[in-house]
Amino acid sequence: MILWLIVALVGLYLMAPVLVVIATSFTATAYPVFPPQGFTWRWFGEVLASPEYLAAMRFSTALAAASTAIATVLGTLAALGLVRGRFRGQTAISALFLSPIFFPAIVLGLALLIFFNWVGLAGTFPGMVAAHAVLTTPFVIRMVSASLAEFDPAVEEAAKNLGASAMRTFFLVTLPLIRPGVVAGAVFAFIISFDELVVSLFLAGPGMQTLPIRIFTSLEYSSRPSVSAVSTLLILVWLVVGVPLYRRFLDVRHT
Amino acid sequence: MRQKGAALVLPNFAWLALFMLGPLITLFVISFRTYEAGRGIQDAWTIAHYVAFVADPYHLGILLRTLRLGIEVTAWCLVLGFPMAYGLSRLRGTPRALLYFVVLLPLLTSAVVRTFGWMIVLSNNGFINRTLIDLGVIDSPIRFMYSMLGIVVALVQVLLPFMVLALDAALLNIDPRVYEAARNLGASRLRVFLQITLPLSLPGILSGSVLVFTLAISAFVTPSLIGGPRVPVMATLIYQQGMSLLNWPFGGAIAFVMLATVVVLFLIAMRLARQERGT
Repeated sequence: MILWLIVALVGLYLMAPVLVVIATSFTATAYPVFPPQGFTWRWFGEVLASPEYLAAMRFSTALAAASTAIATVLGTLAALGLVRGRFRGQTAISALFLSPIFFPAIVLGLALLIFFNWVGLAGTFPGMVAAHAVLTTPFVIRMVSASLAEFDPAVEEAAKNLGASAMRTFFLVTLPLIRPGVVAGAVFAFIISFDELVVSLFLAGPGMQTLPIRIFTSLEYSSRPSVSAVSTLLILVWLVVGVPLYRRFLDVRHT
Repeated sequence: MRQKGAALVLPNFAWLALFMLGPLITLFVISFRTYEAGRGIQDAWTIAHYVAFVADPYHLGILLRTLRLGIEVTAWCLVLGFPMAYGLSRLRGTPRALLYFVVLLPLLTSAVVRTFGWMIVLSNNGFINRTLIDLGVIDSPIRFMYSMLGIVVALVQVLLPFMVLALDAALLNIDPRVYEAARNLGASRLRVFLQITLPLSLPGILSGSVLVFTLAISAFVTPSLIGGPRVPVMATLIYQQGMSLLNWPFGGAIAFVMLATVVVLFLIAMRLARQERGT
């Protein structure tokens, strides 16, 4: 009995910030208060009419799309090599490839800033894309590896025995079978990039605002309920797209 | 041995070499360069930045505060995570899936959004302080914002999922027949917990703690928004050196002290895990 009471309280604590943000985006007051007072859709309208927010959304979308494209190719190839291949140093390579998931972003951000400053990529869009591809590729590798582990390599052998080239086997046999994993990996990569803040803060040039940077800078000064509204939109995107994927991601981790 | 599949991992290896390993090596080298205000990074070699970080009381204070933050967050995650994981391990089907969703929710929200939520509730006239004052529990508001307490409250919330998942995996690995046997032999609930559940979930406690600790000491968004300049930690100091003061050698030195702490902890944890398996 006491156990379930503790579980309920901790569960409430875990949900608190999300519930608060969603609730305050409907408040009729001029600043976010909890519990909200009154009810209005006004702040959502303000976000969707704000040139700054819309520009930030467009920039984040372009950044996420470009880095996801690179991460999907790199990650799918890497997963094929790691799951189907057999080569020296395989365990070390696998650990290295997944390391960006838990690597301190603050350290990578500073390292990239200095390096990019040296090679002339600092404050540029390609530089940010390259960095985001590093951060998102591990998620593609995980998802595609799981798909690869699910089907029998004998199917590929059969195709080769029937005379198909390696290329033909990949595009006609392997790729259709792992497509769910590739798609899931790409979507996951897109959300991770779209949400990324720390590395972007180091690398964004003047006038290059991602949505998280935009929210972060507005929080450092004063915040209006429109910040809650845009945050609510972000939460909704995660809930619709992210939840099914995260379940899958964790299943992969535990096997 | 044929190097089958090595060509497939080559592109990503090259990408990481160029955009992760290369930059990290550059940062490491830079952290041993001298720096002069106004003139920037010089060509001479020095270990002064590492020495300054531990010898200067202000910076040593930041290092110790960061480690304290890691310890406090890890301890709270263990205390709150154990009942959650235990509850999870006793549920099946839909209730388990629902609780699982609640546990994962913090990971499904971006760091800024989550921290913003805490800033609203934790402020001096925020929900928590107002409720406590209305109930007569306290007279003046508890200072959560711009204090260690607020950072801990917000960080435990986001790092708790990692601890619960690690503990849940460990608890699931315990054969339920062990519990039955202990109960049949007359062991009390408390004794079962202390002598069976706790020792058998030790690998989970260990891996969860190392993960939570390392994520806590390297967290940036929460300490930066909730702690602010009044409560600097290593991550916010690195950001300040890198972006405002442009003292990259010193920022690099702090970054590598942080990385060294993380790596050493992981090595210790791996060693302990191996011993655990060996017995």
